[in-house]
Amino acid sequence: MIMILSILCHWLIVLLLAPFFIGVIAKVKAFFSGKVGPSVFQPFFDLIKLFNKGAVYSKTTTWIFRAAPMVLLASVLILSLEIPLGVFKAPVQFSGDIFFLAYLLALARFFMIAAALDTGFSMEGMGASREAFFSCLSELALFMNFITLALLAHSLSLSHMIGADIPMSWSHVGPALLLIVASFFIVLLTENYRIPIDDPDTHLELTMIHEVMVLDHSGVDLAYVSYASAIKFLIFSGILVPIIIPFRTGDLVMDMLIFLGGMLGLAVCVGIVESSMARLRLNRVRNFLLIAFALAFFGFIVTMWRG
Amino acid sequence: MNKTLEFLWHVPFGDFSLRLDPLSVLFLTAIFILVLCAGIYGVGYMRSYQGGKSLGLHIFFYILLALALIVVVTANNVILFLGAWEVLAISVYFLIVFQDEKPSVRRAAFLYLIAAHCGTFCLFLMFFLMAHAAGSMNFDVMAQTNFSPVIAGTIFFLALLGFGVKAGIFPMHIWLPYAHPAAPSHVSALLSGVAIKTGIYGICRILWIIGVLPDWCGYVLLILGIVSGVMGVLYALGQHELKKLLAYHSIENIGIIVLGLGIGLLGRNHQMPFLAVLGFGGALLHVFNHSVFKGLLFLGAGAVIQKTHTGEMDHLGGLAKTMPLVSGLFLIGALAICGLPLLNGFISEFIIFFGLFHGLLGLPLQGAVLCALGILSLALMGALALACFTKVYGTVFLGEPRRPTLPTEMPIKTSPWMIVPMVILAGLCLWVGLNPQPMAGLALGGGKYLIHAAPLSVIDLSEIFIPLSVVVSCTFILILLMAFLAVARWALLRSRPRPISETWNCGFSHVTPRFQYTSSSFARPITDFVKALLLLNRHGGKVSGEFPGKMQISSSVHDASEERMFRPVFLGLTRFSKKLEETRIRYTQIYLMYIFFFLIFLLAWKLK
Amino acid sequence: MTTWIDASCIFIVFLSLGILATYRIVGIIKIFAAQSFVLGLVLIFLHAHNLSTRDIVISLGTMGLKGVLVPYILFWAIRHVSMRSEIKPVIGFGTSIVSGALLIAGAFWISLSLKLPGKPVSDLILPCSLATVLLGFMIMVTRTRAVTQVLGYLIMENGIFLFALSLFDVMPAMIELGILLDIFVAVFIMAIIVNNINEEFEQAPASVSRSKMGETF
Repeated sequence: MIMILSILCHWLIVLLLAPFFIGVIAKVKAFFSGKVGPSVFQPFFDLIKLFNKGAVYSKTTTWIFRAAPMVLLASVLILSLEIPLGVFKAPVQFSGDIFFLAYLLALARFFMIAAALDTGFSMEGMGASREAFFSCLSELALFMNFITLALLAHSLSLSHMIGADIPMSWSHVGPALLLIVASFFIVLLTENYRIPIDDPDTHLELTMIHEVMVLDHSGVDLAYVSYASAIKFLIFSGILVPIIIPFRTGDLVMDMLIFLGGMLGLAVCVGIVESSMARLRLNRVRNFLLIAFALAFFGFIVTMWRG
Repeated sequence: MNKTLEFLWHVPFGDFSLRLDPLSVLFLTAIFILVLCAGIYGVGYMRSYQGGKSLGLHIFFYILLALALIVVVTANNVILFLGAWEVLAISVYFLIVFQDEKPSVRRAAFLYLIAAHCGTFCLFLMFFLMAHAAGSMNFDVMAQTNFSPVIAGTIFFLALLGFGVKAGIFPMHIWLPYAHPAAPSHVSALLSGVAIKTGIYGICRILWIIGVLPDWCGYVLLILGIVSGVMGVLYALGQHELKKLLAYHSIENIGIIVLGLGIGLLGRNHQMPFLAVLGFGGALLHVFNHSVFKGLLFLGAGAVIQKTHTGEMDHLGGLAKTMPLVSGLFLIGALAICGLPLLNGFISEFIIFFGLFHGLLGLPLQGAVLCALGILSLALMGALALACFTKVYGTVFLGEPRRPTLPTEMPIKTSPWMIVPMVILAGLCLWVGLNPQPMAGLALGGGKYLIHAAPLSVIDLSEIFIPLSVVVSCTFILILLMAFLAVARWALLRSRPRPISETWNCGFSHVTPRFQYTSSSFARPITDFVKALLLLNRHGGKVSGEFPGKMQISSSVHDASEERMFRPVFLGLTRFSKKLEETRIRYTQIYLMYIFFFLIFLLAWKLK
Repeated sequence: MTTWIDASCIFIVFLSLGILATYRIVGIIKIFAAQSFVLGLVLIFLHAHNLSTRDIVISLGTMGLKGVLVPYILFWAIRHVSMRSEIKPVIGFGTSIVSGALLIAGAFWISLSLKLPGKPVSDLILPCSLATVLLGFMIMVTRTRAVTQVLGYLIMENGIFLFALSLFDVMPAMIELGILLDIFVAVFIMAIIVNNINEEFEQAPASVSRSKMGETF
């Protein structure tokens, strides 16, 4: 019973927090281009609007297309249970939950790619094909990071890997952690389709990945997809922020505030990266992701060297 | 669980003794399930050949194959094993060559026969060595023997060659991508599902017989698994033909299994029983899982090919609307082979991952680095398999039909003979995925057996079963959540307009189904990325001028081990034997004289 | 201080890795300049407890020569021949990144069996310097532009410099400065040669890069 309550509480926090950070990114981008920009709560209004709309379906599509957004949202919601949010411990933690995390993401990806191919149009196929390729490389980098973190924490559970041992690791193998942070940041940008890998703002360009894949989704389906994207960002920054913060105060309120500040800072960082960089040319994205892998690999070597 | 069954058998050194141990039980389970399912399916599938061809021979060899499979995994005697092994090879040959009017089929079957016999040759040498060292032809006696490290290493090497050919481990796999597409689909399912697993069984049996292997064996297995897995899935991505693609995926999955065996062996050598059980158990569970989902996929592919008469993915499309049941079942197989949660593939990959991480934390430096490499390659295999099966599912079942000749509107009826076995296999995928305890217990028990642990020894398996149970409960929450979201979506959309229209095509006009991304274009970023490994060939496709005319593009992937390893060797052999032919002797008497001299030599040698 | 030295060493290798993924020659030169600055900083970190004038002079000399003057000359050289990006390298960018990562692993592996006299301040200096040398070498081997090859050479030299830092606590200042000057002159001469070569063959590389532009998508 307590389990169910804690799961529901966790979901409530995740659902309330997630779109907020997307709003923050948009605000930062607006600031850098000299505009006021929409309020940080705009993503909420967008979601509400989408939930209240009807949906258009292509006659080419099958049930896969309709099921994909549900699978996506359900998977990321399950994933969010593995992420500790500051003082709120992760309700689901077990040895090996990192594989479950990676493979649930893959489940969602399978359905989103299939849904894109289901529309039978070349551009969505194009996006799907790129998504399949880039996810291979980002998965490599992600697992390389997990390997190093597991080595440092001597545990296979995400909550331990990014938990209490991190401050000690910083003093012991600080440089390796720096590399991990850099690499994971690239993974975060990739998995959340941010500049410089993908442009989340343009909807009608040949060079995109994620936005073109959901071109045909509308109404509730689109709302599910956007909500899932927001939660995915929360999940990834929820993993990265505890790694970055090199100390724990022990005080509940302080820790929570620091965590939230870290999340906010990360969102601002992503916003700054988005405003200051251009999207990479497509055939260079893979090199960028390989760099992420090489960084993580380097971190692994340093850890082995010191360990 | 050791039961022996003996019959009287008058063959020198032979001993008709069948033995049932945890290892054979696991393989037998897979064999029984798949032989039955593929057999039932075959009844429906072969209907289209009725009249044209006599099916009697086919059915005879099918049953012979089933018997041979059963004897192979239970035989306790070298002679019996090799006899069954040969019957297996021959009956598979006759099953593959069913459509013998096609030259490509005859070639593929012949290639299989040659490969199988090359492997058997190594096995003869290996068993000779073993029997010589142990002084007995019976496996259970051999297992009591202590082999010297050199002998053990040689035996292991020969086993890798001999059984590796059968299993399709990477450089020795060349017969596999030809034989699988050539055979009728239920035979391919059986081939890929259980026949190649006899190779894995053989390796496991050797691991069981030789309790102490040199250290390098574990590393070799691990590296072979990694290479086989990654190369298998990369080649699969480059294929255009459905069954050939599935065949390459068998190589990938064999790679995963060998990887697991390698971890197990490393654990056994370093006195880490838990690691060993995880590795062996994960590998054995994957043996079972792979036979179930690969069987399902081949049967699904067969249903598609039977109705559309083509396996070229770029000619298909939109079958989810015309064959909804088959497409749903194929989807389950595809999800399972990608190792996604909900289904059985995830469970075995999870156990192997778990083992790899334990190795990473516990093994000495080389082992830890190799384990890290194993984790990475397993993750890469997962991601690439996902790319590959979204490609298959997307181009074959989703979108619009790419050829007007494909059946479009009415749902195509597939014979219930074919549907029912697929439903059974899909059900098994789900059952293992949602209730992994029984099968995982059986497989981990097999793992315990391989490290010669006493049945009640202290290896605590709860460390793996607890995470598995959490995974399962998370999966159930996932299902609930999906159901909730579906209801929410239904409730929200109920009163709103839901128009059906064309796909939004960014303002292009006259969009035809040929605009769709094909399987080759979908895989292109990845195949381009590794084109040096795949020996990728692409012709045409360069557009020039303001009004380009008709364009053609063709691409093909060539197997590196075939083109760079075996072809040069065999060309050299052919040249050499041509040279020999020129110097041949034309009189029969001289041959007789050679034989005569040889006999005298043998007599003199023995009588000395 | 060790943390800072560690971080700088790692950063130096990271920058060499970054060069493997950089297309534009301008970018490569900038990365090289940054690397030289970090190298100068390492020198100061190493002697932070009792900083002498000599250390400061050498450090500033390194930064000034390698961080400012050499890049300036190289900028001048490429501006004169209007060279923008690397033409097709011997092996692709992706492959070179992966092999770069493997080279780093190799450098650490070699360092396992290298025993140095005396205990270095940080155990990362040695493997990182080796890695930088190897990466520099790889850039020289795999790149086709003369300027990039010069840069590969310079990065290799940076690695050797770092290695020397870990080996010798006291290196005669004049020798160090002399080496710096040698490098400076070498680069100067190479820049002139590159300039002349490209004036002779101005058409050839341009046409090659043109056809490359067309097929990139």
